[in-house]
Amino acid sequence: MTTAAPVPASADGPRRHRLIGWALIAPALAAVAIIAAYPLVYTVLVSFSKSTLGRPFQSWVGWGQIVTAFTDGGQLASILRSLEFAVPAAVLSVVIGLVIALSLDTATRGGRVVRVIMLLPLMTPPVMAGVIWKLMFAPTGGLFNDVLAGAGLVTEPVLFLGASPAAMICLIVVDIWQWTPFCVLLIFAALQSMPREVYEAAQVDGAGVWRTFRSVTFPLVLPSLVTVLMLKVIVSFKVFDLVFVMTSGGPGLDTNVASFNVYRTALQQFDLGAAGAQTIAFIVLVTIVVLPIATWRSRLLKAGSRA
Amino acid sequence: MSESTMPAESFGRTVIGRAPRAAARRRGGVSFAPRWTRALKSVVVVLAAVFFLLPIAYLAMVSFMRPDDILSDRVVPSGLSWQNWSSAFDRFPVADYLRNSLIVAAAAMVIALLIAIPANYAMARLRAGGKNIMTVIVSAYVAPPIVAIVPLFILVRKVGLMDSLVGLSLVEGLMVVPVAIWLLDDFFRNVPEEIDEAAQIDGCGPIATLVRVVLPLVAPGVVAVGIVSFILVYNDFLIPLMLSYSESTQTLPVGISLMQGGREVMYGQMAAASFTGMIPVYLLALFMQRWLIGGLTQGSVK
Repeated sequence: MTTAAPVPASADGPRRHRLIGWALIAPALAAVAIIAAYPLVYTVLVSFSKSTLGRPFQSWVGWGQIVTAFTDGGQLASILRSLEFAVPAAVLSVVIGLVIALSLDTATRGGRVVRVIMLLPLMTPPVMAGVIWKLMFAPTGGLFNDVLAGAGLVTEPVLFLGASPAAMICLIVVDIWQWTPFCVLLIFAALQSMPREVYEAAQVDGAGVWRTFRSVTFPLVLPSLVTVLMLKVIVSFKVFDLVFVMTSGGPGLDTNVASFNVYRTALQQFDLGAAGAQTIAFIVLVTIVVLPIATWRSRLLKAGSRA
Repeated sequence: MSESTMPAESFGRTVIGRAPRAAARRRGGVSFAPRWTRALKSVVVVLAAVFFLLPIAYLAMVSFMRPDDILSDRVVPSGLSWQNWSSAFDRFPVADYLRNSLIVAAAAMVIALLIAIPANYAMARLRAGGKNIMTVIVSAYVAPPIVAIVPLFILVRKVGLMDSLVGLSLVEGLMVVPVAIWLLDDFFRNVPEEIDEAAQIDGCGPIATLVRVVLPLVAPGVVAVGIVSFILVYNDFLIPLMLSYSESTQTLPVGISLMQGGREVMYGQMAAASFTGMIPVYLLALFMQRWLIGGLTQGSVK
């Protein structure tokens, strides 16, 4: 074996390498098959059948459940709840993350300390993040109500998690608290990788701070921002823990996001068929939202590499 | 994923955590900003620090408050006590939950790395899987975990690994494989191919090249991605919620989520138990921040 992988000199080398390559990647492909391909096939099949958690695949029922998932008001509403949560949470995290990243200067001691502080919310297990904020929002003994009452602003406790639309807003706030640091880290890394020369050129041209940001920094960092936005939207659609701990989908069905709705249908009503159909509707929504962002991102990246 | 907006920054990128500091001095570009922007930046940074730190400080304070102080409307406690901590550990198996969490996270991390590392090498060097394999692998991570959870529940039940740390570790390990592969990709591609070629001229086959030559070079990346994988599993809730139902296998997030079931309001104990669970990841964040930031930013913005 005297050949290097990329430039095979003998006829025997590449074939052997290809075999070894497949052998090395096989466990990863098996993992993807188990955690993604099998569940997807299962979900599609189960949504065409009458299935309970105890006895899946009792009989075939055709398109009925899928049609219901896409047309039934209640089920569609839970899909829209996910949208209502994910889009504001993602956009705000990225915008706030950009502002903080622009302000952060890790060349100073303070900047480095803040970067460590920011890791903490990101590292906090979401269930614990839910507990923390549930305590802060609590009607009796919660930080916010204590402060509001102490300042004489309210006489009755504010039901942050028991009122609409306050509950959804609270969930979004917690999500922003947890995930903005992630956005800051990524955006900051992108800002650091920008060439100093363009700033100097802008300075020579007499551009002010705002002008420099608008016509130099922002266009250069935009591809990274869109990447972060895409990641954040994907993460926000996964939300489950916060809802489970803080609101259980309430008040009413106000925070009953798709993940939580599927969980309830499958694990509390044991109706796997309906849960499968709801899952498919949810996947369609995630795709409809993520795909344009992904397309926008690759277009920006292509434009960037041409320039 | 292969398009890059960043300059190909050679090998030094593996120490990305340290790079920004030097880079800030070198490039920074904002040193000529007028005084008012600097003041504004300081305000933003201070506000951010307060926003991110305050809830954690509040949790710590609640965990040391007397139960009647918690339910009163005073913000500052009248005194501190260990009562919540001792009763959290006495009345709930918090120590067992924590042990389960650590075991599952460590085992899943090892499983994920053992699967990801050979795959990354095969993709970067042996052209295994073709051009689109990364898209396939990453898309497995895009789908919300709720999609996979019911079929996995059925599968785990069928193979008899329900409510066991082995089953939980296996499923969690497989679930983080796509993330691990995605984050490791750049580290492998940044190893100059000449190094492989030299090893192969010396008579190493692909596997020997991976183990003896490439692996030591990507070790920083493996550590960083290992930490990220550990934390992802440690923090996870949905999978352990579905796959374990007895105290001997439940992880800390599951245990804590169950503490709020009762009639009694147990804020103090929940705060103490929650804080217990946050300590391990916070220690990782403090002592491994360089690796952690490297692992988190690697692969994402490129």
